[in-house]
Amino acid sequence: MASFLQPSFWIFVLAVAGIYVIFALGLQLQYGVGGIMNFGQVGMMALSAYTMAILVITHGWNLYFACFMGVVVAAFGGVFLGLMTLRLSGDYFAIVSIAFSEIIRYVVNNSDGLTGGAQGSLAIPSPKGYSAGYTVTFDKLIRRMSADLQPIFGSWANRNFCMMLITWASAIILMVLVARLEKSSWGRVLRASREDDNVPSSLGKNVFKFRLQSLILGSILGGIAGIYWAMQYSIVTPDDFQTTITFFAWMVIILGGATAVRGVPVGAIVFSFLYAGTRFFNFPPFTWFSSVDRAYMRVIIIGVVLIILMLKRPQGVFGKREEMNLGQ
Amino acid sequence: MASNILEVHEVSKAFNGVHAVTNATMSIEQGSISSIIGPNGAGKTTLFNLISGANRSDSGTITFNGARIEARYSHQIAHLGLIRTFQGAKVIKRLSVLDNIILAGQNNPGDNLSNFIFASKRKSYESKARAKAEQLLKMIGLTSLADEYAGILSGGQRKLLDLARAMMADPTLLLLDEPFAGVNPPLVERLLKILKKLKEERDLTLLLVEHDLETVMSISDKVFVMAQGTVIASGSPATIYENDAVIEAYLGSRKHSA
Repeated sequence: MASFLQPSFWIFVLAVAGIYVIFALGLQLQYGVGGIMNFGQVGMMALSAYTMAILVITHGWNLYFACFMGVVVAAFGGVFLGLMTLRLSGDYFAIVSIAFSEIIRYVVNNSDGLTGGAQGSLAIPSPKGYSAGYTVTFDKLIRRMSADLQPIFGSWANRNFCMMLITWASAIILMVLVARLEKSSWGRVLRASREDDNVPSSLGKNVFKFRLQSLILGSILGGIAGIYWAMQYSIVTPDDFQTTITFFAWMVIILGGATAVRGVPVGAIVFSFLYAGTRFFNFPPFTWFSSVDRAYMRVIIIGVVLIILMLKRPQGVFGKREEMNLGQ
Repeated sequence: MASNILEVHEVSKAFNGVHAVTNATMSIEQGSISSIIGPNGAGKTTLFNLISGANRSDSGTITFNGARIEARYSHQIAHLGLIRTFQGAKVIKRLSVLDNIILAGQNNPGDNLSNFIFASKRKSYESKARAKAEQLLKMIGLTSLADEYAGILSGGQRKLLDLARAMMADPTLLLLDEPFAGVNPPLVERLLKILKKLKEERDLTLLLVEHDLETVMSISDKVFVMAQGTVIASGSPATIYENDAVIEAYLGSRKHSA
């Protein structure tokens, strides 16, 4: 219970929430605007995180170039997924996208010589001993940042605090960009294609191009989130990229309201606090169950909250009910 | 003599063995108003879909303004100036009325992601498009609803919006799929007036699918009659009324009841 009252724990939760904002922002763009049900977003995270880790550890790349390349590979993941599957209708695309992320996870899990296999980034081969891990450069940056912030924030300015600032600053910049994009004429075409792709097509819009672009942009956001995820946890393993993470991001956008960018941070904070907060349910009746069962109960509790929200406010915190009803 | 803007030559389309259109042939004169009539299931809308690229034909050729279009995608065909509307007026319900119209603007630099960073081109186009869309809204009398979701519009208002949106794309040939279906008589009058005005002002060619014979005969220079997927007759409204095949296939019951 003690850590429940520790601000440092909640700063950690907020840092992770910032990563979820970036991750879920891609889904908000794809689903909230374009109506594309992507259940494979976590695959983009895995692509960028592992690309970055391999380039740094095995090939000795500069961290920032490696991060950039990780995001580029995630973008190409979006291109590949889109070219293969975007012509499928909604539900089928959703199914294939799950398979896509699972294929990535399985390949990562079974390519020991490249990815370290089930042991994760700790076992990525480093034949020339470039680096013990991929976080060396980043840790230096964080230490510098932490030292600079200490005069202002004192002992609060630890690693998680710096991560929180970095992830939220990035999230805010990306949210502004995505919100502007959604309001642009590009967003208008994507919004139109969500309802009926025949109409924009008949008016001269190449709907496939718009949908593919939204998938690529979402993948880039997933890729950026993957990099931050890797930095936050210092190691990555295939288990970090289970489809559950994508569904957590879906919870984020459903809680916040899928049609509005500003719903994403609200959804991410509510979700993260619920998910982390339920960790502290160590009193009856929860103590009647084993700790493993309690871990599952956390997800059940979030599910119940979602059901209540769907009944009371189906459009999410910031979604527009009118817009939702008109879409039916 | 005016040249043909659209030539459809022996076009066929089958869905899972069911022949929806069979060797349909027709030519549309530049600047004319033509209509396709025929019983339900005659293949009229399928033919529209083939012309506009929504479906791909199995055989035959379609030439628009001298360019073969039967193998092109609908957005490419729209770029050439051939715009269509849909049965039942498909408005984008979750876009505002004004945005529905602006959506149809052609060569919008803002549609290109690379112009997202360089906003000046995008913004100047957007303000011009907005002004043009507002004019079209005024023409159809929906200015007061500009910022409302299109989903709240009545059936008649949706038809008007559908027409205005199609006009925003500056078509040279406009295909209208049942523009008067389910529309009350005063609104039909208004739509007809708007169509005639647009045709005169913009050298527009119109091709309609319509069931309302009285309206078809009053507005059309040429009428095509389709039955069982093929064009069984064509000509001026007067000659169509006298055509035996047409009477049997489509007008028969009307003559009996007259």
